Amino acid sequence: MSGTSGKDDDVVRVDFDFRRELAEKIEGNLASFCYQCGACVGDCPATTYDDAFNPREIMLKVLYGLGGELLKDDSILWYCTNCYNCHERCPQEVKPVEVIISLKNMLADRGIYPDTVGKIIKTFETTGRTTPISPAVEKQRARFGLPPLTEVPMDEVQQLIEPASDEGDS
Amino acid sequence: MERFAFFPGCLIPTRHPAMEFAIRETLPKLGIEIVDLDGASCCPDPIYFKSKDKLSWLSVAARNLTLAEEIGLDIFTNCSGCTATLSETYHLLLDESLKAKVNERLKRIGREYHGTSKIRHIVTLLRDVAGYEAVRESVVRPLEGLKVAIHYGCHLLKPSRIMQVDDPNNPTVMEDLVSALGATPVRHRNWYLCCGKACQSEDVPANMMHDLLGTVNAEHADILCMICPTCFGQFDHGQMKVAQRFNEDFHTPPIYFFQLLAFAQGVAYDKLGFERQRFKPECLRNFETAASPAGDDS
Repeated sequence: MSGTSGKDDDVVRVDFDFRRELAEKIEGNLASFCYQCGACVGDCPATTYDDAFNPREIMLKVLYGLGGELLKDDSILWYCTNCYNCHERCPQEVKPVEVIISLKNMLADRGIYPDTVGKIIKTFETTGRTTPISPAVEKQRARFGLPPLTEVPMDEVQQLIEPASDEGDS
Repeated sequence: MERFAFFPGCLIPTRHPAMEFAIRETLPKLGIEIVDLDGASCCPDPIYFKSKDKLSWLSVAARNLTLAEEIGLDIFTNCSGCTATLSETYHLLLDESLKAKVNERLKRIGREYHGTSKIRHIVTLLRDVAGYEAVRESVVRPLEGLKVAIHYGCHLLKPSRIMQVDDPNNPTVMEDLVSALGATPVRHRNWYLCCGKACQSEDVPANMMHDLLGTVNAEHADILCMICPTCFGQFDHGQMKVAQRFNEDFHTPPIYFFQLLAFAQGVAYDKLGFERQRFKPECLRNFETAASPAGDDS
């Protein structure tokens, strides 16, 4: 679409594989109900401060199956503030924020996330917490007379987050 | 005493123990017994781990809920992020097929989710279990004349169909609680804005916080009161960065509501850990010297 003049390049190609993959994610298929009213846009703090992020346009790209524009390094999806205003406003119960999170799940399946996000996920997967316990933490807690923190039973957490091969299809 | 299982999450117990201290000081005075939950993990967070894999996120959250189910209690949360994760899990697992899918995973560790424990944000315990009148009666240092701007944050209120805490377009719960302490709540023009923490852009949260702190300042608020540790981090450490970037000194001390409640109930300023904040609510000291109950400041 950008700057090329060949006829074929003007044609939008719907990526149905992308749409099918998204539909398998929890609440990923809700975008199908979007009629592009834009109620999600007016109250979106990310759009207010940077119009490169626009939940209505993201839903439109999903409907058109333009996965390539959303599933890439430095994806605009990460500008979402997760404030849930769009969820609150949507008359069709599309829950744009949840569709965006499902798209992030697809990014994660491809091993793509910003460094800060990847770091926190790793901390959770190894310690069961997003902010780990340390001697300094325990010292602070003791100062306030708080009980020591206990280790998270990681065997249980790790068994739970292991995907099963037959879960995707329903 | 009414008993509730305490789900402290990650941020408050590790980064902000002063907040946990304040919760443990204040709730028993309002007839609420805190029951600690053994073996809880991160909720998991609704921003990062949820972005990796929703089904895993739901499964770990459901495991946390089974811990409360085992002891037959409702859960209360002190962080709006934990509230979002656990409330959404409860809501999503009303769907029988999704519940079955999650229970397939829980079977691996010999657990089963039933959906018998409800999730309550700690703020709603004060409103619905203790009541505003009990909060008012517990105050020994009425914060008269203190102008308190309120930051609701996002996940106390939204999505309202799932959170069911208050009207997201015109909430009153925080104003009512601040009033119960004798202080004057101030609603600033950007009260509904988000703290911006989840947004992975540098400019968006910085500009947003700049606007928000600007309207708080315009109302001449003494402090900015909030109910979520993530928002707190944004308005404490983050405020410093915003001040540097825009070369403006807002100097609006953020405060977690339960520390303010503990102070109003008579806990000494110096015991509440404010010295660890970048912006300290020093204005509270005036109330301490004016009406200090005998023997409490030891």
